[in-house]
Amino acid sequence: MTEAVRLQAVAKNYGPVRAVDGIDLSIARGQTVALLGPNGAGKSTTINMLLGLLEPTDGTVRVFGGSPTEAVRAGQVGAMLQESGFAANATVRELVELARALYRDPLPTAEILATADLTALAGRRLDKLSGGQTQRVRFAFALAGNPELLVLDEPTAALDVESRQAFWAAMRRYAATGRTVLFATHYLEEADDFADRVIVIARGRVVADGSGADIRQLTGGRTVSFDRAGTDLDVLRRLPGVVEAETRGERALLRCDDSDSTVRALLADGHSWRNLEITGAGLEEAFLSLTATAGKE
Amino acid sequence: MRAYLVFELRRLIREPRMAIFTVVLPVLIYTISSGSSGDAGQVGGVDVAAYLMVSMAAYGALVGALSVGIAVSQERASGWLRQLRITPLAPTQVVAVKALLASLLAIPPVVSVGLVAAFAHGVSFSAGQWVALVVLMWLGSLPFAAFGLALGFTLPPQLTQPVSMLGVFGLAFLGGLFVPVAVMPHVLASIATWLPSNRFAELGWSVVAGQAPPVGGVAILAAWAVLFGGLAAWAYRRSAALR
Repeated sequence: MTEAVRLQAVAKNYGPVRAVDGIDLSIARGQTVALLGPNGAGKSTTINMLLGLLEPTDGTVRVFGGSPTEAVRAGQVGAMLQESGFAANATVRELVELARALYRDPLPTAEILATADLTALAGRRLDKLSGGQTQRVRFAFALAGNPELLVLDEPTAALDVESRQAFWAAMRRYAATGRTVLFATHYLEEADDFADRVIVIARGRVVADGSGADIRQLTGGRTVSFDRAGTDLDVLRRLPGVVEAETRGERALLRCDDSDSTVRALLADGHSWRNLEITGAGLEEAFLSLTATAGKE
Repeated sequence: MRAYLVFELRRLIREPRMAIFTVVLPVLIYTISSGSSGDAGQVGGVDVAAYLMVSMAAYGALVGALSVGIAVSQERASGWLRQLRITPLAPTQVVAVKALLASLLAIPPVVSVGLVAAFAHGVSFSAGQWVALVVLMWLGSLPFAAFGLALGFTLPPQLTQPVSMLGVFGLAFLGGLFVPVAVMPHVLASIATWLPSNRFAELGWSVVAGQAPPVGGVAILAAWAVLFGGLAAWAYRRSAALR
């Protein structure tokens, strides 16, 4: 069994609203996969079906060949949900010990606490933690049982930049042990930086599936921009490698699928320009154009 | 499941409100009411001090048993119960632990009011009677534990607390815990004998009178336990299906 997760034609209606509209996907063991999409795209609904918390209206969900509930009962899945609260009147250590007791083959307590950067907070009451600390406790709880599949719904939502980096470093170490990780995010850089594979979801459907680079490429590669100093826009539009050209005040913005040729031509043809800048289109733009396309259907 | 029970027990002990509602409050009401009525005289063939002791212990047990429902409702809203559902712990085990905790909370009021009655109001029973009292009132609290869980799995936290309090107060009053059934108007008295609160306290009154609880009373209490248990199971399944 090399497949961790399989969704076949999975759909979910909430009354008249179709939150998930026919998703097919398969995730191999050991992959780190990002589920990327704007709020309301159906990410959390998909994750809840994957964990057996929601029944799909149509289609089938399989986790390690069985039903989600079977996989959860067998201790194969650990998950960090959005906004899940913890019981008051218990300490971080007690919660981690509870999680360890529930799984057959848990990680050592010290390792869990260290991975989630909670060693110094082990004796702290759960209701006395900050938002970022609580988020780390969620991670620790998901991690404790040493599950084969780790599912994280918006894991860095409440974290500051520093804890975010620490979180991803810990996540990477976990994924490096051959575990399957699926995380939902609307942070585009995160999907690009930390996932082997990015699945873009919009309006309940998969609109793109591939590596971060693949997804960038779907909408053209880079943007070349400069102060055009009077050069005509039509001239710029005809430069090699340019997909689209526009001006923003004095600044020309060229969307390019082959920025190298564009820049070479710009230098060779003697056009006047200043303050040249080349930026990767980034997942952000790719993402916006992908989700916008899905909306037009 | 044992780890979860231990985890929950530890949390319960740390909750100061629990001690106030299941120990301080019933003891206080017992002291006040027995002070105003005096310890002399008899109700239903039992000394007043002993009769009131059982009434207030039963009232405290109701408060304790239903309070777990309030916690369930809060944990449902906070997402903690959902988090537990994605661990190998089966949901039925969570419900079983909650029901057990709820019934265990019936014990502190029985013990604390019993101690005050024994030391300050001259109530004296055999050791066997004390054991019977605690065990019967623990087991007899199960319908109320189930009632609390039914509320907790149905209502949002803002409603669970007031509805539970209303339920406790209504059951206690109509069941003859505050005013003995013997002095109630006829209609109320006949209602009282069908209520689980009355039949629950009857377990204690029988023990202090040195008698076995009447079979009819136990049957009524058991019927309520089945009804509330079914309601709790239905409410649980419905809440799980929703979220």
